[in-house]
Amino acid sequence: MLSFSTHNIIMLEFVNITKTFSSDILKKPFTAVDGLSFTIDAGKTIGFLGANGAGKTTSIKMAMDFIRPTSGEILYGKELGNKKIEAFSKMGYLPERPFFYPHLTGFEFCQYMGALSDISAKEVKKQIKKWAPEFKIDFALDRQIKTYSKGMLQRVGFLATLIHDPKLIILDEPLAGVDPVGRKELKDIIEELKLLGKTVFFSSHIVSDVEEICDNVLFIKNGKLLFDGSVDKIINENIKSEYRVRYYKDNELCKILVEDKEKNKSIESLIKDGADIISVEQERMSLEQIFYNVK
Amino acid sequence: MLNSGLKKSLVIGKYTFKEIIGSKILYNTLFLGMALLLVTYVAFSFTYGEPSRVALDFGMGCLALSSVGIAIFIGVGILSKEIDNRTVYMIVSRPVPRFSFILGKFLGLSLVLILNIIILSLITLSLFFLIGGTFSPLIFWTIVFIIIESLVVLCLVGTLSIVTTQTMSVLYTIMLYILGHSIDTAMTTNFVKNRPEIQALLDGYHFVLPAFYKFNIKSFLLYENNLSLAYLGSTFSYGLFYIIFLILVSIYIFEKKNLD
Repeated sequence: MLSFSTHNIIMLEFVNITKTFSSDILKKPFTAVDGLSFTIDAGKTIGFLGANGAGKTTSIKMAMDFIRPTSGEILYGKELGNKKIEAFSKMGYLPERPFFYPHLTGFEFCQYMGALSDISAKEVKKQIKKWAPEFKIDFALDRQIKTYSKGMLQRVGFLATLIHDPKLIILDEPLAGVDPVGRKELKDIIEELKLLGKTVFFSSHIVSDVEEICDNVLFIKNGKLLFDGSVDKIINENIKSEYRVRYYKDNELCKILVEDKEKNKSIESLIKDGADIISVEQERMSLEQIFYNVK
Repeated sequence: MLNSGLKKSLVIGKYTFKEIIGSKILYNTLFLGMALLLVTYVAFSFTYGEPSRVALDFGMGCLALSSVGIAIFIGVGILSKEIDNRTVYMIVSRPVPRFSFILGKFLGLSLVLILNIIILSLITLSLFFLIGGTFSPLIFWTIVFIIIESLVVLCLVGTLSIVTTQTMSVLYTIMLYILGHSIDTAMTTNFVKNRPEIQALLDGYHFVLPAFYKFNIKSFLLYENNLSLAYLGSTFSYGLFYIIFLILVSIYIFEKKNLD
């Protein structure tokens, strides 16, 4: 397994970013992103969590310079290059619910994206040979994109995102609309990218996906950053002071939840009543439960 | 950067052309050509006098209108369709300057348009020559000006579609097309001649909005068969200048535009 000492190398930084939209001069502007500051460190897989409308896609669009922030600054790390255009040659991006040129074949589309990233046709073929079987799209690359299913579009889009071997990969809801088997396969590819030392930043509103594959998580709500840190840290910080006690009594498996301070007393009383204690485990909250409770 | 940007424009142009040709738009053009042929045939069959002149008049008129129609049809989606389908994001997230995107799209669409006009012209002229028409250099110039007029329309509708909705940009383009063709007639009316302020306004029109009437040399082709090289050269340059002007405006707007 490859390992990289890439700590503290910043790939992308948001410095106090605010984005407001005003659809009508008579209406109050709507703030989609409010003073957002965070960094994306090299070699990490970072999940960008938030409910629909939290400001995830707006933030990603600003990172990719599709829209400009109302205030604040977005900085690209030295690792990516000095100029924005140079940085983009080392970044890969997959939009949400992608739909590509319907009359090009998958192969032509990859060639197109490769040519725009200054990659030779030979290199494009090499990358396709490497990734297409992993995305299970190799069989369909000579077909027009209009014949692709939603999952296939996601796969060919992901393949095109990796065609120039980017260092920073930004994915907007990459697992949305993909069947469970497809999700597992795409998650495996993200894990593989992690092993290759790539930095992956992806948005999702599905907490379990982020919990499963990310090192760090950014959680935003109403455009504001509520949490930025490691997945383990947030889970450990939210360990409950409750214990789950499992025991047998009268040939039946039972379980109860007890407070930390009541734990010993409760177990003693159960034993007195003839219960056979099987296990005593501290209750843990999943990342999903933690975010449900965030106010 | 400019060099690399121009290279990327060529790539975008190439795939834009490929994508539209793949959509089988040429089949529609062939059908349109057949319809043109039929209409022209009917027109000269019911006419006394010089059927070849009628065929040329009708053929060139229909060709100009259908070329403008195709230009509007393919030009209106230059950006909005790309944003709706999120395909623009895949392009501008690459090391591609924004001007390359606009330039490349116009390049690809222009090639499609020129190819369509050439096919329609060949169909129209084949009938003209078949019934005894003779070649005149003005036929060539008429087709060149139809191409330039359509390219101006393509750039106009494309530019407008960057700042407004598809429906509105089509409506504005049609309105400007009609205005651009009727402005010279309007200037010859007594109403305008007696009002210097309106005359000055219409004179100024040429400098800002496209004077499409300049590209219509059909009457010279049909009745005089002669047109000075100076006029042909200045009109050609005017068209070219206007196309470049509109592309620069589009690039300027697109550079500033939020792609959301």
